Amino acid sequence: MAKRNKLEIIQNILKIIQENHNSIKPTPLLRQSNISTTRFKEYFNDLIKKKIIKEINHKENKYISLTEKGFKFLEKYRTIINFIDEFEL
Amino acid sequence: MQQFAMQSFSTEVIYSFVIIACSLMIYFGTKELYELSNHKGIKYFRQAFLFFALAYFFRSFIKLIVFYFNAQGILSISPRLFNPLISQITLIFFLYFSANRILDISPRTFAPLFSQITLLLFMYFSSMAIFYLLYSVMWKKWNGNDKKVYLFHLFAFVISLFIVISGNALAYLGVNLLLFFIVLFVVYTSYKNKKKKTKSHKHNLYIIYLLLSFFWILNIIDILIPSFFQNFQMFVYLASSTIFFIMVYKVLKKAGSS
Repeated sequence: MAKRNKLEIIQNILKIIQENHNSIKPTPLLRQSNISTTRFKEYFNDLIKKKIIKEINHKENKYISLTEKGFKFLEKYRTIINFIDEFEL
Repeated sequence: MQQFAMQSFSTEVIYSFVIIACSLMIYFGTKELYELSNHKGIKYFRQAFLFFALAYFFRSFIKLIVFYFNAQGILSISPRLFNPLISQITLIFFLYFSANRILDISPRTFAPLFSQITLLLFMYFSSMAIFYLLYSVMWKKWNGNDKKVYLFHLFAFVISLFIVISGNALAYLGVNLLLFFIVLFVVYTSYKNKKKKTKSHKHNLYIIYLLLSFFWILNIIDILIPSFFQNFQMFVYLASSTIFFIMVYKVLKKAGSS
């Protein structure tokens, strides 16, 4: 399997959240995203900071869900990739 | 003669407006993609067109100064080495603050200062536009980080300052030609690599990048040596505008902007 780039990893993480009815606990998300804990933390904090995902506390459990920006990212992902490819960026 | 100069100046204004509008359309048309992805390549690509817009703004300002002062060219207004920029700024500010209510200072007093500052900004922004365009393609190979961009800024500023102080048009042209050959080399290398990877023959984007840089050089010659093109000036303007139109079309189509 080819090494995933940053955008692909982000898309994978967001897709997992979306496929789990937009609500997933951090541990299964880490497991399914198939990256190391350290890297997952980096991506997680980055995505929270950019308001692409958000944390929701429900009955003492922590859930992660997509924000509007997160849905927009998934919608535009193909366009972003095509744009980068077309202009050799 | 005055009517011809007026016509020529009007053409300049329209030309600059078209290029500035195209550059800003590219800049704002890719805003959403950048905000979502935070991709550095997209960032540098957008910056290149923002700097193109700024450079063309100051280019039209240069033409305005040349037209207003009825001069042969911007360098004929700008004094040479013995009257450098800094001393003029000091002198003008001293004159302005100490004597503006007593003395009637003619706009011609400010002409060298205006022309030097505008030329400095034009050269700085235009060099940065080409640097950003180059860096947008090369940032991955050059282990891109924003610190390198500060070096580009410094380099562009130092070159521009040196040329304004020395009044040496050929040195600036030389630097831009060197940049053009670097772009040529980078584009050719990327083209070869992509051809190996995709085996596709649809690589007309590289030609657009090259033409963009080539017509940029022609625009610089037009500013520094105004009599150089004479009858071909309109052709250069039309060709440059066409390249920018193609770029806008491609960018907006790919970015999915309306």
